[in-house]
Amino acid sequence: MSNNPLSPHIQIYNWHISSLVSISHRITGIINFLTLFLVCFWIWTLLLSNESYEIVFNFFNSIFGKFFVIGFVWSYSFQILSEIRHWFWDLGYGFELKTSKITGVLVILGSIIITIVLYSIRGLLV
Amino acid sequence: MVQINLPKNSKIQQGHYYKDKTGSQNIRKVNIYRWDPATGENPRIDTYEVDMDNCPSKVLDLLNKIKNEIDPSIAYRRSCAHGVCGSCAMNMDGKNGLACTKPHAEIKGDINIYPLPHLKVLKDLIGDLSTLYKQYESVQPWLKTTKIIDDTEHHQTKEDRSKLDGLYECIMCACCSTSCPSYWWNGDKYLGPAVLLQAYRWIVDSRDEDRKERLKKVADELKLYRCHTIMNCTNACPKGLNPAKAIASIKKMLATS
Repeated sequence: MSNNPLSPHIQIYNWHISSLVSISHRITGIINFLTLFLVCFWIWTLLLSNESYEIVFNFFNSIFGKFFVIGFVWSYSFQILSEIRHWFWDLGYGFELKTSKITGVLVILGSIIITIVLYSIRGLLV
Repeated sequence: MVQINLPKNSKIQQGHYYKDKTGSQNIRKVNIYRWDPATGENPRIDTYEVDMDNCPSKVLDLLNKIKNEIDPSIAYRRSCAHGVCGSCAMNMDGKNGLACTKPHAEIKGDINIYPLPHLKVLKDLIGDLSTLYKQYESVQPWLKTTKIIDDTEHHQTKEDRSKLDGLYECIMCACCSTSCPSYWWNGDKYLGPAVLLQAYRWIVDSRDEDRKERLKKVADELKLYRCHTIMNCTNACPKGLNPAKAIASIKKMLATS
């Protein structure tokens, strides 16, 4: 039995909306956890000096920094929407295949829309 | 443990190519996972050109045709051919299902057939399900009652009986469990959707007197809570059942009891 091969699994299995949202939920969870440290670091630089704040300010306004901020906003939007989906599941709703597919698509589209909206009105928020 | 790559002895090689000999104009390519325990070689993918003009509609018919007319050495399980026994569960076109109920016309392009995912392969399309059967045994899937009724049926109200709808139809084909990434990574500890649906079937049975014990036994970080609602199980079930919902119902019962 020990020499019997293992049949292929993730290599051959089709992705569905639900599995895609599930793995993204995990990945964004880890990203959010890690980026919180960066946000804390940013706030910390406020206390240190004008120059150190300037460095972080410039970073956020560079192309990479903007990409980072947009990614961060998307990651949080996605996590929050997906978590709301999980709450409904925990209450016992939304398990029908069709419903779960629709809510999965809503999470993906919703997170993109929230990102665009938040990023385009960011001037009003500060 | 998450192990994305296949072990060395499981890496798939290019296999034989069986050219069509009928001269048919309506040919489809069928790629089938092959492994022969007698040779000790790595698994391979054999490709068969099949004349679709003389082939009935289901994937199982296709396999039977290949076995009867092209290559008799191919091994797979099948029995009832009507979606009741669950023997011919396999992975077709990247999704688990029963070969006898899956129309090959639904598959676009080449038809890829693999055994159920993440199992020890016994031969070709036959996977070893003994772990799953042991786990099934562990939930004690039988009626536990102190009432012994010799001369009449053991009655249920209509409402109580309806609670078993969507559960009793399960044929234990293992399509759901072997589609579940959590079961792939933790199949030795996590019970998986098929067994948990069965566990729930006995938990909600109004005639069963062991509900509390059953719930207690299943309330385990690994046995139950490895379910992260990926929903692959419900997507895969060839009987249209909803194991994800059954698992959520157990979790809900535990949270509210």
